[in-house]
Formats: sequence, structure tokens, C-alpha cells
Amino acid sequence: MTARGLETVELTKSFGGVRAVDAATVTFRHGKVNALIGPNGSGKTTFFNIVTGMIKPDAGRVTYRGRDITGTAPHRVARAGIGRSFQLCRVFPRLTVLENLLAAVRSTGPRAYLAGARNAADVDRARGWLRRVGIEHLERVEARNLSYGQQKLLELAGVLMAEPETIMLDEPAGGVNPALIERIGALVRRLNAEGRTFLIVEHNMEFVMSLSDHVVVFDRGRPVADGPPSVIKSDPRVLAAYLGG
Amino acid sequence: MPSASDTARLAALVAGAALVLCFPLVAPNPYILSAGVVVASYAVLATSWNLVGGFTGYISLGHGAYVGLGAYGTGLLVTKAGVPSFVALLLAAAIVAALAVPIGIASLRVRGASFVIVSISLVLILLLVFQSWRAFTGGSNGLVVPRPFPGLRRPDHHLVFFYLFCALLAAALLAWWLIDRSRFGMGLKAIREDEDKAQSLGTPTFGAKLIAFVVSATFTALGGGLYALWFGDLDPIFQFSILTGAYMVLMALLGGVRHLFGPLLGALVVGTALEFFKLEYGNTQLHLVATGLLLAVVVLFMPEGVIPAGRELYTRFFAAGDSSIREVTAADLRERGDGDAAPATVEVRS
Repeated sequence: MTARGLETVELTKSFGGVRAVDAATVTFRHGKVNALIGPNGSGKTTFFNIVTGMIKPDAGRVTYRGRDITGTAPHRVARAGIGRSFQLCRVFPRLTVLENLLAAVRSTGPRAYLAGARNAADVDRARGWLRRVGIEHLERVEARNLSYGQQKLLELAGVLMAEPETIMLDEPAGGVNPALIERIGALVRRLNAEGRTFLIVEHNMEFVMSLSDHVVVFDRGRPVADGPPSVIKSDPRVLAAYLGG
Repeated sequence: MPSASDTARLAALVAGAALVLCFPLVAPNPYILSAGVVVASYAVLATSWNLVGGFTGYISLGHGAYVGLGAYGTGLLVTKAGVPSFVALLLAAAIVAALAVPIGIASLRVRGASFVIVSISLVLILLLVFQSWRAFTGGSNGLVVPRPFPGLRRPDHHLVFFYLFCALLAAALLAWWLIDRSRFGMGLKAIREDEDKAQSLGTPTFGAKLIAFVVSATFTALGGGLYALWFGDLDPIFQFSILTGAYMVLMALLGGVRHLFGPLLGALVVGTALEFFKLEYGNTQLHLVATGLLLAVVVLFMPEGVIPAGRELYTRFFAAGDSSIREVTAADLRERGDGDAAPATVEVRS
């Protein structure tokens, strides 16, 4: 019934002797808000990095909308329609807020690349996203001068500027105040209603459970449970994973 | 939007260009004029270096390699193949551009200090090759490149080449300016800031770096080739010198790598200082000591270069009432508090 989105088959990656991701087969729900949870060191971020092309897997496959994207360079994954944020937040510190968004504009062909970066269409679109995340008044400020929370919003706006249909967020609620968590949650819901798929790695259980439609639980590099939040909450395997059963 | 500040900027540009172009008229003797040619050539090289160093943050200490290749390429095409001087110059630059592709592919894989070391090693390898391959390059005996305008008297020769270097400088500045304002340039700056992040947003980082690198090497080679035609005598030890690359970096850093005219300004300061020191203390290595000290001062006190440092001084002393952009920003941030705690500005239409 649902369209095919992001899927992995038997995805495996070892660092030294440790299997960070261990034959992980996961199917995310396209068009929904998916969450990836699990205790520290359960391989969530490694999984994230393999999917987005930052790390090459030892074995297994990643497909997106039926297309094999295993081991594809990060910019190609991005151009396939998958945007991502980083754990601990990454922005371009010495570029202004507006330039941070303009840097995410995608060009194809020499003419597009040589077009002015500050053309009216791109700038308008960038301002639109800044307005939506609520930092449009800061557009001329260098990103390094923003507060951590503002940088988080800027990163999100930058990801959105690239118009991805699937957005992977690595701990969007990490290290930010409750009001901002609320704001990010509302934004995710609204963007999802507009048709964007989310895949969120998060530790804040309340945030995850209130936001997501589908939860995948990782433990020791592989999924141990998945389902709607209401089911996951009471799943004994999840409790075991978190409490170290 | 052609505002008042744009008009002022254009006026300053025209005035600056006029000042530079008038230099040969006020130069008291041919020696000073020839020093002016050297400084102009430094300005070309530093601006060319900045096409990769300033945009991508890849600090190449080995750009001397492209100076040498441009110079020897031009010289050898003229002497061995009988190609007309300026055709040889363009041909040599094209050859260097072609060579820069595989060199770039190999060296741009590594970042930071590793890239610096790889770039240095290239100069050293080329130095050895051009010294040892006597039959072709003339080795340490040097290579004499015939002058393109044999009928010209020496002062006129300097005059012509001063303007040729100025034309090349204008072309390099124009290239930098065009890239700076383009989407391509924005991608390069993103690479400088955070390469992985830039790639995750969809910038084909490797291709972008490579293009910037090749453009930079090509302009550098044109600078080297023009030098060969002007100076007329090439020696590997000077052409493939780490010092050339180090000067380029110093000049760009001193002026400010984020500014169009930063490297040019740096070349004016460092180039003039170098010529002065060579003139005054020619038999010593004092000019190198002075250069080293200057680099230390820049890195310690003006890490952003002279242009931003000067701007900051100006705002501190002359525009105290009219606070700087940075101050407005800080106040702005404070006034708006955290910004995050104000959900009133958020669009929540659920």
C-alpha cells in the first residue's frame, strides 16, 4: 500500500573487531515519521552514516525508492532526495545565516553553477525557510555567533533548502531547551503533513513517542523490535535493550 | 541595487587602478620599474593562489611548482620548438592545466597538514627533475629565453611587461570575483567551512575542489610563463622553490584570503619589503628572516589579514558612535534573548 522508501538489507559494518552494525534489515515507512532508538553504542549513528554514504558498509545493501544506493557518495545520496542533519549540529560557522542556506542550493550544469549565488529566486526561497524555522531576523549574522539552539534551527533550514523528500535528523532534541524541542516537533509534524518523510535518531523518549508513527529499536547493531510507539513502549525486548537484559 | 556604497566602491576601484597604472610614469629609474614588475608578478601569483587557498581552505605551499612549470613550459616551447612567445605562454598554461588534473586528483584526497606536505613534495620532485634533466632543461646552467620584443630598450621592456602583468592580474581578479559571487563559489566556501557537511547537502565536493585547483594552477602558470618572457633566464633552483609558494601564502594571508584585493595588498606589502631588503642587505639572508617575522606577526595579530584588521581599527576609532556590524549583531541577539524561548515567532499551524 505504501510507496517504497528507505530500506536496508543485511547491512553490516565492523570497526576493528566490533560489529557496529550487524546484518541490519530495516524498512522505513515512506511518508511517515520514523524513529530509530536504542541505547548508546547500539549503532544508530553508524547506520545513519552508512545510509548517507559517509561510511562504506562491509556487506549488505541500502535502497531508496527501489534504487540501490549502497556505497554511493554522500552528495549523490543527497541528490537522490535524502537530507541529513548531524549529531551535535553542523553549520558553516564563517558564513552568514543566509549564505548557509544558499550553500545548499543545488545546481546542475555549468550555467547553473555560474549563476549568481544571491539571485532573487534562491534568496526568496532561503528567506522562506528561515521564516519557517523562525530565524529570519538573523540572516546577516555569521552562523558562529548564533546560540546553539539557533544553530540547530539553521541546520534544519539548510537541510530543507536542498528540498529533500526524506530527512534524517540525528538527535534533533539533543542539548536544546524544552521550548525549542516543542518548536522542532511542531515543524517536523507540519513538514511531514506536507509529504516529507522523516527518520529521526533520538534519545528523548517523550519526544520520539509523541512524534513518530513508526519506531525501530536498535540493540547491538541490529533492529530488535519495530512498530507504532504504543506497542514499542510496552515491548519487553525494548526494556531489555535499555536496561541491559 | 546600485547604492551609494556601490558607487563609492567603483570609484575607489577606478582610482586604485589608475594609481597602479601610473606607477611606470612616476618610477624614478628602470631599476624601480623592474621592482614594480616583480611586485606585479607577485600580485598575480598571490591572487591565483587565493583561487584555491581562499575559497576551499586547501593551503598549498607548493604552488611554486606551477610557476616553474609555466616558466619552463614557455621557455622550452620558445627555445626548442620555436613557438612564438605569447603562443608558447598560452600553450604552457594549457599544458599545466592538463597536468593539474591528475595532480589535483591525487593530492586533494588528503586534507589539512597532509595536503600541505603533498603540495611541497611536488615542488621538490620537480626541482630534482629539472636540475637533473640537463639535456632538455639546461639543468643548473639555466635556460635562456629570448625576449619577445628584441627591438625594445630595457626600460621599455619593463614598461611593457608591467602592463602585461597588470592585465593578467585583472584577469585573475575578475576570475576570483566571478567565482566569489556564483553558486559554484558558495559551494567552495562551504567546503572551506565544513567539507563533509557541504557534501551531505549535495555539493559535489571533489569536482568543485578540482576545478578550483586547476583554475588556480593555470593562472599561476601564466604568471610563471610571463615572468620567463620578462626575465629571460630560468634556473630550477629559483623556479621550483618552496619560497615562491611560501611567499604566495604569506601575501594572501597578510592581505586577507576572504577578500578580492587581499592577496594584491599582501603582495604590495611583502613584495615591496622583499625588494627593499634585497636591495639593502642583498648579500645576506636577512630578507628571509624579515619575511619569517612578518608571517609570525600576521598569524599572531592579524589572522584574518590586513583588510579585516584595518576595518576593525577604522570602526574602533572613527565610527565609535555608529557601532560595527558585529556589535549590532550581539545587541540584536541579546535583545531577542535566546530567540528559542519565543515560540510566538514560530509557525505552528497544526
